[in-house]
Amino acid sequence: MSIIESSNLSKHYGGTKALDKLDLTLEAGEPIALVGPNGAGKTTFLSLVCGFIRSSGGAVSVLGHEPGSQALSGRLSALPQDARFDPTLSVGRQLKFYAQLQGLSSADATKEVARVLDVVRLPEVINDKSESLSHGMRKRVALGQALLGSPELILLDEPTAGIDPPNVKIIRDLIREQANNATFIISSHNLDELEKLCASVVYLEKGKLVHMGPIDASDDIDYLTIRMQAVDEHAFVEACMQLPGVVGVQRQTQGDFLIQCSEDDAVDQLLLAMLAERGWSYRHLARGRSLEERLYG
Amino acid sequence: MAALTIARLELFRLFGTKRGWIATIALLLIWSMVIRFVIYPAADLISSTETATFAGLILEWLGLAELSQWPSAEVSLYWMLSLYMLPFFCVVMAADQIASDKFRGTLRYITLRTSRTSVFFGRFLGQAFIQFLLVAITLASVIALVAWRAPDQLSEVLGSVPIVASNVFIVLLPYIALMSLVSVVAKSAIQAILFAIIAWILVLIVVAIVQSNFGPIEFLDWLLPGSQVSMLLKLSGWQTMQLAVIPLMQTGVLLTLGWFAMQRSDL
Repeated sequence: MSIIESSNLSKHYGGTKALDKLDLTLEAGEPIALVGPNGAGKTTFLSLVCGFIRSSGGAVSVLGHEPGSQALSGRLSALPQDARFDPTLSVGRQLKFYAQLQGLSSADATKEVARVLDVVRLPEVINDKSESLSHGMRKRVALGQALLGSPELILLDEPTAGIDPPNVKIIRDLIREQANNATFIISSHNLDELEKLCASVVYLEKGKLVHMGPIDASDDIDYLTIRMQAVDEHAFVEACMQLPGVVGVQRQTQGDFLIQCSEDDAVDQLLLAMLAERGWSYRHLARGRSLEERLYG
Repeated sequence: MAALTIARLELFRLFGTKRGWIATIALLLIWSMVIRFVIYPAADLISSTETATFAGLILEWLGLAELSQWPSAEVSLYWMLSLYMLPFFCVVMAADQIASDKFRGTLRYITLRTSRTSVFFGRFLGQAFIQFLLVAITLASVIALVAWRAPDQLSEVLGSVPIVASNVFIVLLPYIALMSLVSVVAKSAIQAILFAIIAWILVLIVVAIVQSNFGPIEFLDWLLPGSQVSMLLKLSGWQTMQLAVIPLMQTGVLLTLGWFAMQRSDL
């Protein structure tokens, strides 16, 4: 079932094309990564889907309805990038208000608020004002807001931007836990994180769709990516180049080595044998290239 | 239904939060000063046998002789003061219907769950109810003053309460609607008030220019909220409802413009 369908979708801000005739169909299921450089149109696309802004041309339908339609209440939810809670009301009061707007009775809304705060592991903040919480906790409460009423489609715009690692891990775990109940579309610059969470990727650039496909790199069999533990770079590259089937070795920016190999040879096993022989330790070995390397390499 | 939920939250903001209570207390203190230092001594002056004739002459000279037709001096003074003062309270209290929520992004959380129409009219309804309470509280304070100073006039004063309350409330409606409209385009309550003042002055200037070039056009005299107040002061009793159509029409027009702006607005 398609959850979002856009055709010729455009959004202009003056002379700037934030989205340029975007044709896109996204299916329900595993989390979808929405990536692209700043100004690619990710937030604009999510804002159009949520009905926060109006398109300059083209059409988009969400779960079979127009964005902003009342029929989407409780079915679509989002964690908008810069949205903040009302500082005058407690977290619990606000979440209850949102739950009631989705059609829940007062008693059911109270239970639902307790449930989502449990899910985001922050039941103790129910009576706190959002301003008294840390940035990471606020993001978790905002994620709880997106889980109210168990929606079918959840859009997350930079859910972990500017957050400390412990909260990032909690948010990532939460998304993974909830991914069975809803389809997530996650916009982020953190490609490592998206690789861990998502099954497919949509890559936008200058408002246009550049690439769409599975995020899994297992079919990218011409490459191995390895992260070594304290090794002489030149010695390692030289040793790899001597292995049968290795076409080239490149040092990546994050300290990984990208080994290009021929399809016919079991280079991974030869590589492991070579590491054992030389007493070198590795921290991470993966088949294929990282998402970052595939998109921007 | 969603509009009522939104309206209820407006009441909670005023009576269920510290910020709301501070605003309410400040307002009540200002009103208590008005009662103590304006209505109470002025009512004395108007109703005292020694000064009543003089006060009557002054009112007649000001074209406000009809004020003496109200059942007590306190009600007359409340009628005059509320028509001029309560709109100021109303503009300040109703300034932040949409602005802060929109600027902060909170409105995004809300519009994911309900229509912009429900948000716009829900906030208006909430503010209208708050202003109704404001009228009720201020009028109750005047009734209490009458009960203390001239209990013999109390039954007649109570009889005039529906006329006064409904009239003052209707006068306030276009001010709430005006703030609904400007708060859609403003980023804060203060900016909304400034926009309202600018819009007010611009309309006055345009009306003056049009009328100086094309002669008096009666319809233009009724463009601004409160434009009927000077005529309202020359009426008393149920006659005052003759002019209710003006603020009601202003409210309708301002709400339509505000609703349209809300639909077109980027959140």
